[in-house]
Amino acid sequence: MVLENEPIPFGDWIAPALLFFLQAAGILALLALVGGYLIAAFRYGPLDGGDRVFRFLKRGLGDLIALSPRRVMALAWLAVQESLRRRVLVGFGVFLLILLFAGWFLDTDSNDPATLYISFVLTATTYLVLLMALFLSVFSLPADIKNKTIHTVVTKPVRPGEIVLGRIIGFSLIGTMLLALMGVFSYFFVVRLLNHTHEVEVASLEPLPGGSSDQRAGRTEPEHSHRHEVTLEADGTGSTNTVNGHWHEIDPVEDGDETRYVLGPPRGMFNARVPEYGELRFRDRSGAAVSRGINVGNEWKYRSFIEGATLAAAVWRFDGITPERYGDSLPIEMTVRVFRSHKGDIEQPIRGTLKLRNPRNIGIESAVEVFQAKDGTVNPIEIPRKLTTPEGRTIDLFEDLAPEGELEIEMQCLDSGQYFGVAKADLYLRARDASFQVNFIKGFLGIWVRMLLVTSLGVMFSTFLSGPVAMLATLAALVLGTSTGFIFDVAAGTVEGGGPAESFIRLVQQKNVTVQLEPGLTTDVVKAADVVFMAVMTSVTSLLPDFGQFDSVEYVAHGYDIPPDLLLVQVLSGVGFVIAMFAIGYFFLRMREVAR
Amino acid sequence: MPPDVVVETQNLTKVYRDFWGRRKVRALRALDMEIRRGEIFGLLGPNGSGKTTTIKLLLGLLFPTSGKALVFGRDATDVSKNERIGYLPEESYLYRFLNAEETLDFYGRLFDMPAKVRRERAAELITLVGLNKDKRRQLKEYSKGMARRIGLAQAMINDPDFILLDEPTSGLDPIGTREIKDLIIRLKEQGKTVLMSSHLLADVQDVCDRIAILHQGELKELGRVDSLLKLRDETEIRARGLSAEAQAEIRAVIERHQGNVLMMDNPTTTLEDLFLSIVRDSEARPGRRARPEEEK
Repeated sequence: MVLENEPIPFGDWIAPALLFFLQAAGILALLALVGGYLIAAFRYGPLDGGDRVFRFLKRGLGDLIALSPRRVMALAWLAVQESLRRRVLVGFGVFLLILLFAGWFLDTDSNDPATLYISFVLTATTYLVLLMALFLSVFSLPADIKNKTIHTVVTKPVRPGEIVLGRIIGFSLIGTMLLALMGVFSYFFVVRLLNHTHEVEVASLEPLPGGSSDQRAGRTEPEHSHRHEVTLEADGTGSTNTVNGHWHEIDPVEDGDETRYVLGPPRGMFNARVPEYGELRFRDRSGAAVSRGINVGNEWKYRSFIEGATLAAAVWRFDGITPERYGDSLPIEMTVRVFRSHKGDIEQPIRGTLKLRNPRNIGIESAVEVFQAKDGTVNPIEIPRKLTTPEGRTIDLFEDLAPEGELEIEMQCLDSGQYFGVAKADLYLRARDASFQVNFIKGFLGIWVRMLLVTSLGVMFSTFLSGPVAMLATLAALVLGTSTGFIFDVAAGTVEGGGPAESFIRLVQQKNVTVQLEPGLTTDVVKAADVVFMAVMTSVTSLLPDFGQFDSVEYVAHGYDIPPDLLLVQVLSGVGFVIAMFAIGYFFLRMREVAR
Repeated sequence: MPPDVVVETQNLTKVYRDFWGRRKVRALRALDMEIRRGEIFGLLGPNGSGKTTTIKLLLGLLFPTSGKALVFGRDATDVSKNERIGYLPEESYLYRFLNAEETLDFYGRLFDMPAKVRRERAAELITLVGLNKDKRRQLKEYSKGMARRIGLAQAMINDPDFILLDEPTSGLDPIGTREIKDLIIRLKEQGKTVLMSSHLLADVQDVCDRIAILHQGELKELGRVDSLLKLRDETEIRARGLSAEAQAEIRAVIERHQGNVLMMDNPTTTLEDLFLSIVRDSEARPGRRARPEEEK
């Protein structure tokens, strides 16, 4: 997995996030108050208008205090009943159909089938659940108002906030139920479909070259578009090599006079790695310390590059390196971006070296270990406890290199004219693995938060818009929320081609994004219009949830444990937005006449 | 607001506007009226006269353009007043995918009633409106009359002090209509206040203590039914034992001829006649109240 944005530690996130939330809430509340007063003053005069605004606020506070869980749950139950009546389970049926026919469009020859299948089920679930949440949430309240069923509800002691909250909870409950069902089916779909075994080709078994006399090597029959190399011990047990992200254990079974070798289910296919990250620093081509590597173009933001066959290096410093945590070896995994300034042999990986060093005594270091890097591919390396120095002396990883638990790992690129792009999260220690099943659930939690957001957005818009318009508004919010990074980049002028107005002119005039527009009044007007457009879009986008932030599919699909900090940030951000949507929905429903 | 007044409107006006804020129609104009505790109050008027607008303003479904509507002394838009209110809408605006028990349970929960109370109250009301056999059927399978009955039951789920009934007998057969009218009278006997609107004038005449007649958003008539129906410029004499001659000389000669006066009073018209005459008069002279208040 190639991380483009490092997860922010919860401790660093919470205070600024809370401050931003309070600021945004305060500004919106102030705008609503001033706007409300101006309208009331215009309609009823300054004194009566002020009195009305005061009463509105007072009653709003009263409504908040009088929120009844029983009423809210009654309305939530009604929303659940309504969803079931509207055949929400059809969505689940569609999901099952997609799974049934998944074999038609999933590449069974993939060299990483687990990633492909997990990514597929999570993405399909996301789209279906979000669509369902959208349709349920935007049409419910407008339909109630149109059918006048709302009349028998609001003439009971029901607060507008209870109507909004009840719907959000009700539709979220239905979404949760569907999501749970989809999760269970997805899990068994992935596990069952990828489960397989192989037959060992007995004829291929030969004494292991370089091994003991009792060891044998051979291969398996092909299955699921791949086969493995096998190594058998004298007692017939053994294992296969890793192909397509998994391996098998082998056990002998006596079958009359013959011995068969039975392969167990695939191992190592479903992971939830828990990476331990270090602090990264760089050295430039002359070996001088620098804060970042060099920029090779468009990927400057997070990752920077070290030049091959120079003194340029990336150095990670880790803490907590103890034998109690790691045992007899140090498992390292790295994902290196490769940038080639000349093509070379495109089939051949670029070579690099790793060197381990005691940061408190830089004279103690290991001999270099050469590795081969393919762009964006996870490269696992097991560092043994006993190492040799460049002089050939044996040293102990924990006693000599990391006596205080601190260790430096230095990476260099060997090939001249080629570059390695790295960031802090690109080289980590694989201290342990978490439960894949729990990680799978965490991935669904990210989808759940997004479902919650779409539901609350839909309900909020439906308090003052008709069903179809509320749907469009929610979709627009979803699109804007998914493209926050791009919109901020356009506003900052870092994206070629300008804003909406300039892009439109370029489309009409068939000018590509690098061509300068002709100076003149038209261009000035277009650019000025873009300033206004982008100010509005940036303001709106700032208030919308960044949907990309809730996407954990990549973590689960690529076998990384979703960091608890990220999960906390996702859930708390989601809750914050739901509170905001609830408040806005309450405001609009209070302001409107539900009858005509 | 005096304690025996349940509803008070002061200069209550509602103007419907379009999306751009332009005036479309003035649905209600400066309505002043009171409904007192324990009375059955009828709201009459042709289509578009402002009856439903008045009810919606009293329920807080609409906001007044100007003036005030107070219910139990609180602003009509104050949700807390609904604790003591029951409302039967003109059509059965209920959730058609629920059955009778679920419907009453749902509305009971909106009044924050505990489960046990809800169950008891629902059973009692289902029996009262005669839907015991059909309580498990979804409302979408109900006839119009059955839907009115369950609508009435939901309006009474909280044992309200003030009940607004919009066309309560609409869609009911004669027996159902009689039952509803009896029920309304029973409610009054229990000390409850009822506001009903109806096009069926005979129903209003049968049960209402006072009525208000609206036309084109204006109050045209307001008073006790028996008083309003009295024809003040005519005298009706009912006598027995008079000779044919004596009948030619009224009142002055009855005593002289030893006749026995059984009744002497103003005759009454029907509510239908009164209603039609007010509507005709209002159309002929818009903006004018049909009769001065002091005449009643």
